[in-house]
Amino acid sequence: MKVSYNWISKYVDLSGISPEYLADKLTFAGLEVEQVTKMADGSDLVVGHILSCDDHPDSDHLHVCMVDIDTEILQIVCGADNVAKDQKVIVAQVGSKLPELTIKEGNIRGVRSQGMICALFELGVDRKLLSQDQLQGITVLPNEALVGDTNPLSYIGMDDVIIDISLTPNRADCMALWSLAKEIGAILDRNVNLPKIDDLKINEKQSNLLIKSNSDKCQSFVGKVINSLVIKESPSWLKDALTSIGIKSINNVVDISNFVMIETGQPLHFYDIDKMPKKEIVVKDDIDMVYRALDQIEYQIIANDIMITSDEKPIGIAGIMGGEDSKIDENTKGIIIEAAIFDLAAIRATSRRLNLSTEASIRFQKGIDPLAPMKAVNRAVQLLIDLAEAGGIEESVLINDFNYQQYQIETSTTFINTYLATSFSDKQIVDVLSRLDLNPQIEDDKLIVYVPSYRTDLRLPVDLCEEVIRLLGYDNVLSSLPKIYQVAGEYAKNARQRYMIKDLLKDMGFSETINYSLVNQKHIDNSVLAIGKPVALNNPLSEDKRFYRTSVLASLLETIAYNKSRYLNEYMFFEIANVYSDEHTEKEHLALAMSKKTTINKWKHLVNENDFYTLKGYITKIIEKLGFDQKRISFKSNDLDQRMFNQYQSALIYLDKALVGVFGMIHPKKQKEWGIDQTLIAEIDVTTLFQAKTSKIKFQSIPRFPAVSYDIAVIVDDKYQANDICLSIKKTGGKLIKDVIVFDVYKGGNINDGLRSLAFKITYQSLDKTLNDNDIQPIQKEIISMLNKQYGAILRDI
Amino acid sequence: MQQWDKIKEEGLAIIRHADNLSRIEQVRIDLLGKKGQIQDLMKQMKDLDNHQKPLFGKMVNELKQLFEEEISIKKNELEETKILTDLKKDQIDISLDGDDALVAQLHPLTIVQKEVESIFMNMGYQIVEGPEVELDLYNFERANIPMNHPARDMQDTFYIDLQWLLRTHTTAIQTRVLETKANNLPIKVICPGKTYRRDDDDATHSHQFTQMEGLVVGEGINLADLKGTLEMMVKKLFGESRTIRLRPSYFQFTEPSMEVDVSCFNCNGLGCHICKKTGWIEILGAGMVHPKVLEMAGIDFRKYSGFAFGMGVERVAMLKYGIDDIRNFYLNDMRFLSNFDRFE
Repeated sequence: MKVSYNWISKYVDLSGISPEYLADKLTFAGLEVEQVTKMADGSDLVVGHILSCDDHPDSDHLHVCMVDIDTEILQIVCGADNVAKDQKVIVAQVGSKLPELTIKEGNIRGVRSQGMICALFELGVDRKLLSQDQLQGITVLPNEALVGDTNPLSYIGMDDVIIDISLTPNRADCMALWSLAKEIGAILDRNVNLPKIDDLKINEKQSNLLIKSNSDKCQSFVGKVINSLVIKESPSWLKDALTSIGIKSINNVVDISNFVMIETGQPLHFYDIDKMPKKEIVVKDDIDMVYRALDQIEYQIIANDIMITSDEKPIGIAGIMGGEDSKIDENTKGIIIEAAIFDLAAIRATSRRLNLSTEASIRFQKGIDPLAPMKAVNRAVQLLIDLAEAGGIEESVLINDFNYQQYQIETSTTFINTYLATSFSDKQIVDVLSRLDLNPQIEDDKLIVYVPSYRTDLRLPVDLCEEVIRLLGYDNVLSSLPKIYQVAGEYAKNARQRYMIKDLLKDMGFSETINYSLVNQKHIDNSVLAIGKPVALNNPLSEDKRFYRTSVLASLLETIAYNKSRYLNEYMFFEIANVYSDEHTEKEHLALAMSKKTTINKWKHLVNENDFYTLKGYITKIIEKLGFDQKRISFKSNDLDQRMFNQYQSALIYLDKALVGVFGMIHPKKQKEWGIDQTLIAEIDVTTLFQAKTSKIKFQSIPRFPAVSYDIAVIVDDKYQANDICLSIKKTGGKLIKDVIVFDVYKGGNINDGLRSLAFKITYQSLDKTLNDNDIQPIQKEIISMLNKQYGAILRDI
Repeated sequence: MQQWDKIKEEGLAIIRHADNLSRIEQVRIDLLGKKGQIQDLMKQMKDLDNHQKPLFGKMVNELKQLFEEEISIKKNELEETKILTDLKKDQIDISLDGDDALVAQLHPLTIVQKEVESIFMNMGYQIVEGPEVELDLYNFERANIPMNHPARDMQDTFYIDLQWLLRTHTTAIQTRVLETKANNLPIKVICPGKTYRRDDDDATHSHQFTQMEGLVVGEGINLADLKGTLEMMVKKLFGESRTIRLRPSYFQFTEPSMEVDVSCFNCNGLGCHICKKTGWIEILGAGMVHPKVLEMAGIDFRKYSGFAFGMGVERVAMLKYGIDDIRNFYLNDMRFLSNFDRFE
């Protein structure tokens, strides 16, 4: 919100208070000042009197002026069309610093020039606020300007400073300049003098204006008929005030409505009484139509938008913008004043839908002092009498849906000091609350305050705590630490498990990525192990961020493609993030991706060929480290996802009987589609892993007797999985077998198609004795016989 | 005696001139071998008179010892030389780059989040998380932001339907904690997590970001406890000499509410580009938990009070590392990611 320093200083005594000091005080009282800017800026400016103005001898548009600045007479070359003898003007002397240039003594086409005669835009005034004349020529000061006065801007109301305040939503009351003045008075402990409007002595006629509301979204409505007035130009103080905060002057009547809105925070609307269909105003909220507003744009009005109507005809979009039909113009002879309060949510909804935000709608949306409508009407009448010769004034007509009752807050100074951990005296607290017009009363231990109507944010004792501390200063607050029952700090279990996985993956060489949760259709189409049907946002920012991820992997593919185009071809990435389905299920998934090739030694050109087994090794280790015995982890053929994966080099991961992941080589078609190299990928449901029961770490003593290994190699049908055969061997061998591993797989050569050679290393160990050949040979025989019977395996010589 | 000197000089010369290991071996055989010069001299001894024998024998032995020593020295020298020659053949260019050691890193947001979490865990806080897709109830209603409240203007929200939305702040976790622990006070938690707002992405805005909020509720919690806690955190995170400054502000969740500024760690308060010449950097929002918030969770606000504070992890990381564009965190460019995981 832009506030004019000159304007506000009419209401509150700011003598000796610089705009910068005021800004600082406001910020530390909770009204954050974003910027302090001079309306017009320039050093070494002075009022000059043009003694003579002659044509430049060597130019058809330049003039040579002799300008009296009291201390000396300067010769200045000026290019403006409107410069003339005897004008009082703003002179920038040599050395003067303007927003965009520094004035130097010059020589313009052979004529010496000792300064510049200024136009307002050259002094940094926003061009939008200037008239056509002001944009095209130098600024001519009124004749009473004193030659040599070093504040020439004061003669045209341009010596103002604009303070831009970012109001928090609870202090919308400060959008009213009068409330802001009281706030500043309280902060600085200075006197506040607001215009008196209670004692207007007018003879008001009885009114036959009819006002009615068919909507429950109009809490209050004041209408007033002014039968006669005179439209003319506004006086300069009024124009300057509005210009200072960026409102263009139109005429006295329209300017008054804006001025009063700024003063009281109450938006006013004036209707030309002669253009009204009927001396009647009806508020409705059940209209569907296309409506052309003051700005000449057609708006689609729907039910629930609040509309102002007269004789069944719409005359304005309530609280947002009036209509063209009844607007004030130079021929207006009388008006109806509207000062109403509309439902803030309804105004916001309409304003948003129509993409139409006005000074009025902004104020309605933030909430209005319930007593503002009457205040505003009275102030407007006062100004209309003073500035527009208003007459034929009728009594106000009002509807009021609520009874205003002043709020009281009961608390104690002890409570305030305890809550804030301060030690303010009763006097200090009472003094601060008085400055805020809260009329504090101390009765015994109680402190009672009476809240002014515009302070809709003050309802509870804690609200008073804030008033006290923000005015007396947070420097008064001490430092301590909570004195409550202490427990050891810790992570929730799943967070601990997540960090464990992150650290483990990092140690394995995987780098962490964090991608957006919101994704596009392509991402959804490439979901792996999707948690369920995707959920689309009701109001996405773009198609690119329409869905909440159902799987994480595609984000990694995007990361790989992004980095590949930046020449990164070897990578190991992971991401752990939430996924979400339409059944309001939220889980955590882990995605992994690693390039097929990773260089081991670049000068010897040694490259590691990562494959299915590389990733399988990593994944097995991750699950084991989460507390699961290897026996509980199993891998099955991938019959789940044969689009993203090469089905012959991928597998499903099970923990006990639960599917927890899928991994393997990316399908060549997908690899092309994403524009990446061969990549090993995985998607793992870590929530299921986090929730599964883990086994305790239990130390088993190291066996005292040595283990012995026996190898068996067989030729066996391709269709059997090696792991199944290992399990059969263990089962057959019984307790003495400690471990069975496959150490060689061979196909081709002298082995027929459809068969392969598998070599097993079987490790035997006993807890009771050293095993010898006699103990083992019978078992070996049994195993060989089983392999032959069960798998048709034929023994090979090793 | 001249004859002895001659034999000695000749022998030493041959040793001296040997220029490789096989040559010196040959020299050893020639001088000391079974058919070598020393053996020849030994053979001459038997033809001598008995009284001459001891002296002669002594001379031969001295000569033998001398040759042995000299050959050994020479042999060592030659071995040394050979090793150096062999090594030189395999000399490498030490200026070439080493192999890229496969060292991975955690994401900078994770690093910063962990650091803050550990500061608070050491002060006895529990780390609590919550769902990212949240009910309006916990995100707004219970945070004292009722339907149609103007404060919702400040938070443009991604909605799934009327009930479900993407949480706009981790306050949603706090309102859940308040509910579950209403009958089991005190509460002392840190709530980290991803949050979402309907902002267009640019250098300083991101529709997805990370927040960390703290909440303490118990008997007698006051504003000084909040101030002391934040001072502790700021000193641990940005250095022992940092101070904080409280400025009044407004949040629905708290009353009184304040912004917390930290004295600039770059210029120590003198004014620089990071603090925009003010000497202070805005880093946290905080306040005393609003009585309505406690009441809605079923906590007696006459008996208990609390404080809450929150910060953006991206903002802390940007300040800490001098990152100028928030979008960097979500591009996952390896050249960006690999910058942050090291000792400082």
